[in-house]
Amino acid sequence: MAQGEIVERVVRFIVREIVDNPEEVKVEIIEEGPDRVTAEVSTAKSDMGRVIGKRGRVANAIRTIAQVAAEEEGLEAGVEFLD
Amino acid sequence: MEFVEVRGKSVEVAVAGALAELGIESEEQAEIEVISEGKKGFLGMGGEDAVVKVRPKPKKKRRRRRRGKGSGSGENSGQRSDQGTDTRGQSKPSSQGSRPKGEGQKPKRASSRPKPKSDPEPAKAEDLDEQTEIVESFLTGLIGAFGIEGEVTVETNKGAIEAAVAGEHSEALVGNKGAVMNAVQEVTRTVVQRRFHQPARVRVDVAGYRARRREALAIYAERLAKQVIDEGGEIMLEPMNPADRKVVHDTVGGIDGVESYSEGDDPRRSVVLSKTEAAAE
Repeated sequence: MAQGEIVERVVRFIVREIVDNPEEVKVEIIEEGPDRVTAEVSTAKSDMGRVIGKRGRVANAIRTIAQVAAEEEGLEAGVEFLD
Repeated sequence: MEFVEVRGKSVEVAVAGALAELGIESEEQAEIEVISEGKKGFLGMGGEDAVVKVRPKPKKKRRRRRRGKGSGSGENSGQRSDQGTDTRGQSKPSSQGSRPKGEGQKPKRASSRPKPKSDPEPAKAEDLDEQTEIVESFLTGLIGAFGIEGEVTVETNKGAIEAAVAGEHSEALVGNKGAVMNAVQEVTRTVVQRRFHQPARVRVDVAGYRARRREALAIYAERLAKQVIDEGGEIMLEPMNPADRKVVHDTVGGIDGVESYSEGDDPRRSVVLSKTEAAAE
């Protein structure tokens, strides 16, 4: 299993459900170390606001959930939202 | 250090109530003695309460203060930006999250308090049907993405969507003080709002956490209410989210001689219990 596979799957699933343009959602897993990954998320420009949410509420919720996904694989995960 | 003795529908509920009262966050920090396991009634009737004695583990110097400690609102902890650097050695489920078998509770609906103004109008019936479907398919997809075996049930209750996730490993989605569960709720609500372009009322419970917590909170509020009646004065609880505050208000509303109101602004809004005029002689 590729490193961070569950994180990628979970983050992609959530973000695609939130946006208006799911086909433009990209999630890339960056391996930061032996047990740490970062999921880099990009979306259509018009969708990013909703993905981040008011004061980053939704973004932080996604981070929290991504961390749980990472723990399933014994990893730590961060999520970066790219403009 | 003194014990507190608490009754509850089940040992878990009683323990959770006692921990809340003592301001202890996890069972590991407490000494717990089960006096009686209680008996399950049929359909919640005719059962016998479980009784437990709990005290903080020695050398944790923790005294009960006048200020009620109300096991902080999960909503707040869910907002913490953790950029992934936050390593709370998860996977050992928090004590409260580790028991999937919460028992159905019936919160007292005593007072008819005005709804928090943040509550949107209840949705129309046909909208609710569609929202229910969206929530069910989202949550099912989410646990599928995790690879968790679980069951999702969604109901509507007075214009709000109430979803429950149950299953073998689902307590991983509860998190510390329900932080993960609240995160799941946040994204679920966001998904519904995208489709409807209007605010939606969505609650998500995982592994029976919310139900158990409500029950524990009600027990705790009842004890504080008795304390106010006996000792007078006022007790301010920790800041809580609107749902938790409502549990406290509803509980206190059913008890004579004490009243409750909220003070401060979200997310630092707190319930205050106060002896009523008449009872204060």
